[in-house]
Amino acid sequence: MTGNNLADYLTLGLIMFSIGAVGVIVRRNPIVIFMCIELMLNAVNLTFLAFARFTPTSAALADRAESFMSGQMMVVFVMAVAAAEVAVGLGIIMAIYRLRNEIDIDEMNLLKG
Amino acid sequence: MGNFELIWWVLALPVIGFLIQSLLGQRIVGLFGQTYGKKVAGTLAVLPIAAAFVLGAGLTLTLMDMPATSRSVVMTLFDWITVYSISIPFEVVIDPLSMTMVLVVTGIGSLIHLYATGYMAEERDYTRFFTYLNLFIAAMLILVLGNNLAMMFIGWEGVGLCSYLLIGFWYKDLANAKAANKAFITNRVGDWGFMLGMFAIVAFLGTNADRFPAGDGRYLSFDRMLPVLASLLSENPGIATLIALLLFVGAMGKSAQFPLYNWLPDAMAGPTPVSALIHAATMVTAGVVMVNRMHVVFEFSPVASGVVAVVGTFTALFAALIAFGQTDIKKVLAYSTVSQLGYMFVACGVGAYWAGMFHVVTHAFFKALLFLGSGAVIHAMSHEQDMRWYGNLRKYIPITTATMTVGWLAIIGVPYLFAGFYSKEAIIAAALGNHHATFLGGSTEFTGWLLLVGAALTTAYMTRMTLLTFGGAQGRWQQPETYEAAHADHHAHADHGHRAHAHHHGHAHDDPHGFFYTDEELARREALEPHEHHHHLTPDYKPKEVPVSMWVPLAVLALLSTGGTAYFMEHHHAFQHWLYPPFGGEHGTGLTMIKGHPVIDPEAISGHPHGMLGNKMALVGLSVAVMLIGLAYAWAVYGKRLPDKEGFDMSRWAKFRLWAMNQFGYDAFILKLLVYEGGKTVGNACAALDQKLVDGIVNLTGAVAQGLGGLARQAQTGYVRGYALVMLMGGVALLVYLVSALSGGAR
Repeated sequence: MTGNNLADYLTLGLIMFSIGAVGVIVRRNPIVIFMCIELMLNAVNLTFLAFARFTPTSAALADRAESFMSGQMMVVFVMAVAAAEVAVGLGIIMAIYRLRNEIDIDEMNLLKG
Repeated sequence: MGNFELIWWVLALPVIGFLIQSLLGQRIVGLFGQTYGKKVAGTLAVLPIAAAFVLGAGLTLTLMDMPATSRSVVMTLFDWITVYSISIPFEVVIDPLSMTMVLVVTGIGSLIHLYATGYMAEERDYTRFFTYLNLFIAAMLILVLGNNLAMMFIGWEGVGLCSYLLIGFWYKDLANAKAANKAFITNRVGDWGFMLGMFAIVAFLGTNADRFPAGDGRYLSFDRMLPVLASLLSENPGIATLIALLLFVGAMGKSAQFPLYNWLPDAMAGPTPVSALIHAATMVTAGVVMVNRMHVVFEFSPVASGVVAVVGTFTALFAALIAFGQTDIKKVLAYSTVSQLGYMFVACGVGAYWAGMFHVVTHAFFKALLFLGSGAVIHAMSHEQDMRWYGNLRKYIPITTATMTVGWLAIIGVPYLFAGFYSKEAIIAAALGNHHATFLGGSTEFTGWLLLVGAALTTAYMTRMTLLTFGGAQGRWQQPETYEAAHADHHAHADHGHRAHAHHHGHAHDDPHGFFYTDEELARREALEPHEHHHHLTPDYKPKEVPVSMWVPLAVLALLSTGGTAYFMEHHHAFQHWLYPPFGGEHGTGLTMIKGHPVIDPEAISGHPHGMLGNKMALVGLSVAVMLIGLAYAWAVYGKRLPDKEGFDMSRWAKFRLWAMNQFGYDAFILKLLVYEGGKTVGNACAALDQKLVDGIVNLTGAVAQGLGGLARQAQTGYVRGYALVMLMGGVALLVYLVSALSGGAR
């Protein structure tokens, strides 16, 4: 791993995202699911940063900040949104726990048709 | 022909009268008070009709001054219907046929309006009555004047509506409302035939549009249609038969011929002036007028002509027999009307269309007279219509007696002196003359002989009615034992059958020829025709002669019913040549053209019998003979009560009379077949259709949605991981698609 190759970063992001996705699907504890979601979000962040870093710059685009800043900006947004999401999600989980004294995700099937 | 514009006033006047009565009538009565207000409103109802008559008479005189070949003037008011190539203007035709009917309708109409101002004087809904009556005159005028089948149909439906409204005039009595419905519904059957006939004509002419002048779409206008029909139908007798039979179904309904006659007797539930005007003199003759108007079609169809003649003959005899069983004075006259209408159709069937119209006119005179006379009797007898309570009325109401006697003599056909003789003679002569091709192998002679039998029956039942009403030594309502039994019983039970018990108590041993019915029979009769008897006569009741407004029309009609008018109409074929001028046409068809109208050559159908009966006096002698037979029978049985005195067993006759009273079971049969049993069957079928098929489709829609929803429900597991997986797979699928699409686009 040289750390200079875009494919390496993307591969790492893919692996992280897949682990996160599988974790979201197979785990029953919402806290763990949250952690998996964080993992997926961070995989996306990594991808953003990798693309931002490796975007080929031409002379015409060189003086335009968005050509390499937009990817980095997205990461900041994702982190902010993820923090907000965790705050809301943990609040919901607390509420559910108070209501039902358990937080097993498979027991929450009120939408079952 | 300048003043033919006046025809619009003839049409407009009854409409104006109708508007006055309907919009202002109640206010007028309110303004002048009940007594004078009604007189003012009544006058305003009579005047437009009388004025229309005067104008009509003027127009008729103008028409008479014109040469016979140009006596057909078409007046157009506006374009009414224009659809594609068909154009139906609002137009009237002024010709001998229409003007004859205009005079009958407005002339007799104004007399009956005048009579009604007296007859209905105590009626609360006085102006409503005259509203309907004026509207009827307007509709009837459109019917007879209309120059196309569509206009005739407006009038046809209009008179049907007015008939319905007037039969049900006293709508609070359920029996009247039922009678009105019966008339309306039965007439729908006829209208169905008329409409199909009309459509058949349109369809037939539409396929032969090249026969019309280019750009002229007036297929239904008589002056265009009839000549084209004449030439087309001579090549297509089958279509002539179809159209003629369909039109005749319409005529059967309106003119109460056999299968569809049974609404007319029930129509007597209406006020008597209505019975006289609509159900005797004018509306019920509309069928005859229509057959006259469309006679070309019947001319070319021997089959249809034969059907018309046979149906007419059967109806004439059938209704005459039923009349013997009736005890209600108006019912006798109703069946008599049905029977006389049969005579008119026989005339049309055997080709003597003019004789049918002749009988329409004379019958309008004497039948209106008889109905108005019966109304006067009913008025005098405090609304009692049952002849079993009459008797010896000549002592109390001499004017009515005298005028009704004229009507009686006219209908039984006293030779030369009375109107009925001339027209009846013309019909029988034409039937015996056998000049018209029918499907009966050309022979219509038997209808003539049967009509002679019918004439004897007519004489007998009319004499029966006259004797029961005016004859006898003492009024039957005065006979104390009858009265007291009825009275006591009435208070005891207060039911419809009290007359039955009256008979039981009072006449059980005093009723040898079965004049009164037995309890059982009367109960059945009341069940068939429930009647509210509001008025009960006491033995000291004195019938009063009618007021002047009522007997003046009687006197005028009595004058018209004498031989004078009919003599001049018959003399030198005056009326025949007025309707169907002699024109020496081609004898092959018997048809000739007058101003585009094909008419029958009167010489081809002269109506004079051959052989022994070729001598006119022989036929007169025969007529007089059958009349005398009828008179003798009625006098012996109903006047002198000979069978009673000879100890003759009349029980068998009582059975027959009951059978006749019930129309030989025909009405009950039709009711059972079409209303009770048939109606129930159709109703059940409709209910099944609705509940099984229609509801089934609705339920099936729901079931399908439910089933599909049940399938879709399986997808909703409620497991968050399931949703997450689906989302993920969806995202992957979307990604794969986008990548492949983008890479495809890049290629």
